[in-house]
Amino acid sequence: MNRARSRASEGDDAIPLAPSPTGSPIDTLLERRVSWGFIVALLLTIFMGYSSWRSARLSANDSDWVVHTYAVMARLESAHQHTNEVETSARAFALLGEKSFLAHYVDARETLAKDKSEIRRLTSDNRIQQRRLDTLDVQVRAAIEYASEMVGQRQDMGAATGTREALKLEHLTDEVRATTQEMLDEETRLLNERSQKTEAQRRSTGFIVTTGVFLGAVLLTVAWFAVRREIGVSARGRVELSTLNAELEERVQQRTAALQSEIIERTQALQEVADQKFALDQHAIVATTDVQGTITYVNDKFCDISKYSRQELVGQNHRILNSSHHPKEFFQQMYHTIANGQVWRAEICNRAKDGSIYWVDTTIVPFVGPEGKPRQYVAIRADITERKRSEEALRESLATSKVALKELADQKFALDQHAIVATTDVQGTITYVNDKFCDISKYSRQELVGQNHRILNSSHHPKEFFQQMYHTIANGQVWRDEIRNRAKDGSIYWVDTTVVPFLDAYGKPRQYMAIRADITERKLAEHEILKLTEELEQRVRERTIQLEEINKELEAFTYSVAHDLRAPLRHIGGFSKLLVEDFGATLDPEARKYLERVQEGTVKMGRLVDELLGLARVGRQSLNLQATGLSSIVAEVVSLLDPETKGRQIEWKIAKLPFVDCDPTLMKQVFQNLISNALKYSRPRPQTVIEIGEIHKDGEAVIFVRDNGVGFNMKYSDKLFGVFQRLHRVEDFEGTGVGLATVHRIIQKHQGRVWAEAELDRGATFYFTIGSVDRAAPNAQAAIAGAQL
Amino acid sequence: MTNGTDILLVEDSQEDADLAIHALQRERLANNIFIARDGEEALDFLFCRGAFSERSFDAPPKLVLLDLKLPKVNGIEVLKQVKGDPRTSTIPVVILTSSKEDKDLLVSYGLGVNSYIQKPVDFDQFRETVKTVGLYWLVVNQQLNGVKKAAGQASS
Repeated sequence: MNRARSRASEGDDAIPLAPSPTGSPIDTLLERRVSWGFIVALLLTIFMGYSSWRSARLSANDSDWVVHTYAVMARLESAHQHTNEVETSARAFALLGEKSFLAHYVDARETLAKDKSEIRRLTSDNRIQQRRLDTLDVQVRAAIEYASEMVGQRQDMGAATGTREALKLEHLTDEVRATTQEMLDEETRLLNERSQKTEAQRRSTGFIVTTGVFLGAVLLTVAWFAVRREIGVSARGRVELSTLNAELEERVQQRTAALQSEIIERTQALQEVADQKFALDQHAIVATTDVQGTITYVNDKFCDISKYSRQELVGQNHRILNSSHHPKEFFQQMYHTIANGQVWRAEICNRAKDGSIYWVDTTIVPFVGPEGKPRQYVAIRADITERKRSEEALRESLATSKVALKELADQKFALDQHAIVATTDVQGTITYVNDKFCDISKYSRQELVGQNHRILNSSHHPKEFFQQMYHTIANGQVWRDEIRNRAKDGSIYWVDTTVVPFLDAYGKPRQYMAIRADITERKLAEHEILKLTEELEQRVRERTIQLEEINKELEAFTYSVAHDLRAPLRHIGGFSKLLVEDFGATLDPEARKYLERVQEGTVKMGRLVDELLGLARVGRQSLNLQATGLSSIVAEVVSLLDPETKGRQIEWKIAKLPFVDCDPTLMKQVFQNLISNALKYSRPRPQTVIEIGEIHKDGEAVIFVRDNGVGFNMKYSDKLFGVFQRLHRVEDFEGTGVGLATVHRIIQKHQGRVWAEAELDRGATFYFTIGSVDRAAPNAQAAIAGAQL
Repeated sequence: MTNGTDILLVEDSQEDADLAIHALQRERLANNIFIARDGEEALDFLFCRGAFSERSFDAPPKLVLLDLKLPKVNGIEVLKQVKGDPRTSTIPVVILTSSKEDKDLLVSYGLGVNSYIQKPVDFDQFRETVKTVGLYWLVVNQQLNGVKKAAGQASS
């Protein structure tokens, strides 16, 4: 819901404003320039129009003047012509009297007068010409008067005019002609002047028009560029505007969609709120209090962690849980925050009912009433006691690690001094080596860094060896083994290598550090030792074979003793017996006595052989261990020895004996020997006391057999358990010296100990223990014991 | 002499044989006694072959006293063949030997020996033992002879 809302508001902000009507300064400047351009162009056009008009007018004026001048000149020519006609016609008439000349003369005279008045009209603006015209008037009148006189004289007298009169007329007309010529010259001068003026005017007009056209063209070109640029700008503006419109429309659609989904989400959220309340109660520690901080509601988890019941909590102030861990200001700040309607969050240390401390991550949300003041507070807590504990532990470890860091630096130095150190990246490319590494590998640092470790491979180890290594370290585990490497010069060296992977935040190795120790000498020594060991083992194997052969021989020997030695004994005994029985009557009493001695000897030797074989059998036999009650064995042995006790006063003191793991047959032999010894050596006592029992010494059960017999001197105690060793004379106490040796052997086979304490004539005590017997290896012991025989 | 033998004494030692015969004679048990001096002879006798081919399985000895340590074929092998063959397996075999080895005892009983006795070194005890054994197997113990004959006829 929130997401949707925030997205919508973002959209509002993001809509860009349309360009303002006031326009940017650039636009204004451009507009002003264009306006100025147009004004200048307009002025120029007006100016040009005016110039052209004026020039045209001036030119027309000038042309009028020229025309006028031409008209004046034509009249002057005409006047000149008519003057000539007047003279000639007058003279012709005067000479010839031909009437046609007279008419011609009249016409010319009339026309000349007309010319004269016309000239006067035409040159009315020119005073100089007017004065000349006055002169001309006079001259023309004089000429005409004279001509008329001549004509009249002809008409009247009908006589021809003399040459003198004709010359005078010519002179008069010459004067007229001179004046008209002057006037013509004047007009010609004027004409030239005016033509020049008109030419200058035309040139100036041409210049003005050309300049105007050029300036106009320039201005129009500038204006065209300016307008064209303006047209481009406005076209771009239109494109941008349409893009913006499209975006805006899209935003509106998005906003609509967002609002729709927000509505859906809100609907769902309403349904979810109920579920979430339930889930929250399941997950979090929830409580509500009124504005005074009095608890109005707690959920089950609150009761669980605080160890208070709901009844004990509701109606109480929250202070009931105060652990005094936080300062007063802590809670003041909290009340201040929530009283202002703001959410407060912090980690609180509370005390439960049983006094135990617990930490809760607490969020207090104030619910505001209609008048804007909080009406109740809802506190949601999460149990973070465990986390707090680990944080505490972390703090401690951090404190130690500060010290450790310094130590680490020292250790790094020490390590570099002592060990062969290298680091590689995950591909096995060497990134660092220390001096010792270079020393042993004979490569320089430059030669090593950037190379793969394979550069040192001596091809000694199988592929699997390194595969296993890479597998181990790639899994982030430390790998250690001894590696045989090849140095640059080809020499072989051994290093005890520990590869430690350094892991990144994701637990993947980012580099490996290999710490090595040179063990080449040790390896060489080991190799030597291995060789020696192999030789030794070979010798042991050979010896074992020899020993086994000897053992077999020994068995064969024992068998021979049993069979072959006993047979001749039996024969000696048998036949000497038969000799006594069958021929006793005929024998000398002395001879009979000797024969009895022979028989006694055979009996004694027979017993000796039997006992010896018994001892050997103990050595060869494997233990048949059973949990055995020693009491029952003792009872059996005592009853077996019953014949020997006949007629004797014997006091048996037999305590309860334990059950032990032992071979019952062999254990019976032990007791048989010890008890029969006790009976034998106490025979001189009128009252024999035999005590059998158990004591505990150093946590070990010790069985003992004690008698009040003759005892022995302890200085011979080391001979006590030797084969054929006797401490008494046969005359005093019969025996073969095999019995205690057998006892010793049996107890030894049970991993136990046997010893004796005695004092001469004051009885003897035999002790023995039964150790824990390794049931798995009795055969090996049997073999060894057999070999000892 | 070989037919109708009561006791087959298998013994390589002449002295032992003499002492045994002497003991048996005192009890009048040595009338029909045959002494085999090695295992091979004992087997030939029992399986009616070689020098004893005229013997019949129908008249087996009533008792075999068998020493273990014998030349050529040892006592254990003799016992194995006798007890392993249905024609001789019913003949009572008593081992009379100097050996008291557990191994020998185990093997002998395993092969089905009827009794195992160690020869005592003391002559009196030896004589007593031989007497007891002889009396027991020849007099006290019920013989199988009649039954066996019937069975032999049935099978032939």
